[in-house]
Amino acid sequence: MTGTKTARLLTLAASAALLLSACAPQIGKSQFFGKLVPPEGQVLRYISGSELESLDPQMSSGQNEARINIAMFEGLTEYNPKTLEPIPAIAERWTNNSDASEFVFFLRHDAKFSNGDPITARDFVYTLRRGLRPELASRVSFMAWDIKYAQALNEGRAFVRDPKTGRFVLASEATEHGGAGEAAAPAPAKAGVEGVPDTDFNRLIHEPERLTVPFDEKERAKKTKASPKLAGLIAGKELVPVRPEDIGVEAVDDYTLRFTLRQPTPYFLGLTQHQFFRVIPEKVVERYGVNWSKPGNMVCSGTHMLAEHKPYNQIVVVKNPYYWDAANVHLDKIIFYPIEEQTTMMNLYKAGEVDATYNHSVPASWLRAGLRYSKDYMDAPENGSQYWQLNTKKGPTTDKRVRKALAMSIDRKALEGFRVVSKAMGGFVPDGIIPGYKGPPGFIKPDVEGAKRLLAEAGYKDASGKFDPAKFPANELEITFNTSESNRQVAEFIQNQWKQNLGVTIALRSVETKTYFGMRARLDYKGIAAGAGWSGDYMDPYTFLGLFVTEGGDNGTGWFDPAYAKMLTEANHEADRAKRFQMLAKAEEYLLDNAPVIPLLKPATSWMKKPYVKGMYPNPGTLHAWKFVYIEHDSAKWDQGMPDMTTPELAD
Amino acid sequence: MFRFVVRRLLVTLPMVLVVITLTWALIRLAPGNFYQGERPLPPGIERNIRARYGLDQPWYVQYGKVMGNILRLDFGSSLRFENETVNDILRRTVPVSASIGALAYLLALVVGITMGTLAALRQNSATDYAAMGLSMLGISVPNFVLGPILVLVFSLSLYWLPPARWGGFPSWNLVLPVLTLSAVYTAYIARLTRAGMLEVLRSDYIRTARAKGLTERQVVVRHALRGGLLPVVSFTGPALAILITGTVVVERIFAMPGLGNYFINANLSRDEPLILGIVAFASVMVLVFNLLVDVAYGFIDPRIRY
Repeated sequence: MTGTKTARLLTLAASAALLLSACAPQIGKSQFFGKLVPPEGQVLRYISGSELESLDPQMSSGQNEARINIAMFEGLTEYNPKTLEPIPAIAERWTNNSDASEFVFFLRHDAKFSNGDPITARDFVYTLRRGLRPELASRVSFMAWDIKYAQALNEGRAFVRDPKTGRFVLASEATEHGGAGEAAAPAPAKAGVEGVPDTDFNRLIHEPERLTVPFDEKERAKKTKASPKLAGLIAGKELVPVRPEDIGVEAVDDYTLRFTLRQPTPYFLGLTQHQFFRVIPEKVVERYGVNWSKPGNMVCSGTHMLAEHKPYNQIVVVKNPYYWDAANVHLDKIIFYPIEEQTTMMNLYKAGEVDATYNHSVPASWLRAGLRYSKDYMDAPENGSQYWQLNTKKGPTTDKRVRKALAMSIDRKALEGFRVVSKAMGGFVPDGIIPGYKGPPGFIKPDVEGAKRLLAEAGYKDASGKFDPAKFPANELEITFNTSESNRQVAEFIQNQWKQNLGVTIALRSVETKTYFGMRARLDYKGIAAGAGWSGDYMDPYTFLGLFVTEGGDNGTGWFDPAYAKMLTEANHEADRAKRFQMLAKAEEYLLDNAPVIPLLKPATSWMKKPYVKGMYPNPGTLHAWKFVYIEHDSAKWDQGMPDMTTPELAD
Repeated sequence: MFRFVVRRLLVTLPMVLVVITLTWALIRLAPGNFYQGERPLPPGIERNIRARYGLDQPWYVQYGKVMGNILRLDFGSSLRFENETVNDILRRTVPVSASIGALAYLLALVVGITMGTLAALRQNSATDYAAMGLSMLGISVPNFVLGPILVLVFSLSLYWLPPARWGGFPSWNLVLPVLTLSAVYTAYIARLTRAGMLEVLRSDYIRTARAKGLTERQVVVRHALRGGLLPVVSFTGPALAILITGTVVVERIFAMPGLGNYFINANLSRDEPLILGIVAFASVMVLVFNLLVDVAYGFIDPRIRY
């Protein structure tokens, strides 16, 4: 008896200690969090997120990889440390033709790989051709699909040639005859960039777009079955597989690189910052194959080069002596720690064992406990969007009115108050992030009466014509989310809002993440997929709006509307930025009116940085050009809060 | 004895193959796949990936390939970590998990047996209550609570020890994870020792030993402990196997690059070769340690003979 009593007492004491420690995380206003001892010299210890899938910049898809790739590989352009707008990197300058369907980059002559080999336009051509090879099976290759024939190469397609005349069948022939299912994009402007030498390749790539069909027999049979016109076009012709040499990337000379795109792509510069476009060394890749990215083999093109990779432990990069701007690279070493537990990250940060963390690394409970008032807490709006997806192919949500009603009857401001740092968002493109873009207000103001009217119109009404919750088939809907505490909280909150506002109770369903992704990709969910978030790949509304132009609706909702796709294409044909943004805003309004998604919140970046880490800014993507970052040992110059983001200088 | 060991070892191989087959089938039945992420992949890219990893072949071809590789002790490449083979990952992570696990268990054995023996010798005394109270605490406080408390005290308040990360072997980084991990085992071992000792101390042969005039120390160490520790020995087999193959929670709290961390992520990301490799390794460990326990019984308990 006494034994259990003692045990009880001890348990009580332990729980009390736990409670006390939870209530008093020693975070006050106007101070920094934890130890403030800068590392010796110019060394940065950074928590970079989950362990990398690959160090190969063309293979990895996540931001955790992007952060490390930025250190090791440079592209034509780099991220502005404050705004993320493209700034010159290996390309000193660039220019494009009138409709942004052709871009020419002029490379600096002094760029070198970390083994001393010069970086030329040919290296970029190699990098992209390799990245798009179907055998490589890159998950992010679609980032380069705007390059002419890049998608065809990546999908293993073939041109169709008449063996007698040697003439290639054109894409327009397939569409002119009444839609062969192979929609061709409008032809780009004939005029290329002026003042750049014309070449045979250039003339060839500017010829009218050729028809491409799947080279794989089974795939092709599917297409020809669906379209007898296409079958007719192919009959008796020979198939010529699209080769890497056929895509619209050309080294005009060693330092001039020309991209010919399949359609106007005003956001193309933003793409060139992505890791997929960062240059890799051909000799090394061809020599080591898949092992080229292992320490010892890897040769880099960025400010830093790989020194050590211990998975789930650390990645160490050291300064690249051959980097063209090495004199302005401050950090001698960056140690990336791949860590997944938020609490562990904060513990290491507080103990002074790391100097900065990546975005969304601060646990909500710590923020509530006061960490958000700490001077080293970085809270900035993010180029991201949190939304729910609706199944437009099955159940009550096939009706646009139901979808809109669900979106309209949520009080997002209340949701904002309930969350800690995210902000309410009514539209699909986060507002106030992309300079110059002003999207529609969307669902920011709840309109419960309007929602009820729409539902009544949809047929869920009583005898008097008013909305009747009892008629609404709530049991055919489910709020399906991938298991996480934060998703559950939001789901419960909105479930409650619908209950209060519409009198409708929709059940919750929590599923494991990969299962959730699978269900959503197959549209195998009942009505509502809760828990989507998209971080923009580049600073342009198209990175969000473009998610819904995938043919066949591969976007988790099944929604595809040619009118919407046309609006976006037309906007991209507009050369004037302000006008284009207006057109995109119209398209966004159209998207919201069809409501395949319920926009909810605009995330905040939410991360920590010691005051002695300078040149690292709370930008909208938490992507840092490491060349600007340094350790300030003079405590008088330390940051006293969020660094100034308004000055145009790249580094302070 | 020799025949017993050989017989058991022969059974091990088919058992491991059955475990692997079941695991393989379960992975295939589980929804989702390794490449699907937040953004649904364009069909063309999905086809490339399926072709590269042979997922476009019929299931029996894939199964045959997997089993063929495993029989050659080659688990292939991880799907998530592009240029790493499962064998590399095992070679790198097992020492990490094993050093934390073995140290924790060693500590648990020393402290647990001492506590249990003292408690049994002074049954119903303050020592007994304190020891059993502590062990009750050890069992009831889960390691995901104990770990953060230790970190809070020793790393974030006193700044004595690093709060996380692997620092090689040996290093100060090991102290907190080892303490955290050993708590529950110490507690179990203390309770098992106490129960075993209490039973043995009342048995006839102990009375005989005492009657022969042996000192209390000789009675306890040479005679009583041998019998009293039998429950601990049978507990040790599976416990060590689990510890060496990685302890998910502790490895995550302390960001240790061990097998447990990989295992949980391999499952979450449906990394089939890695899951199969780790499952095969873990099942071999469980079978081998159980065998060792059975062999050890023969040495410790004179009543057991094979």
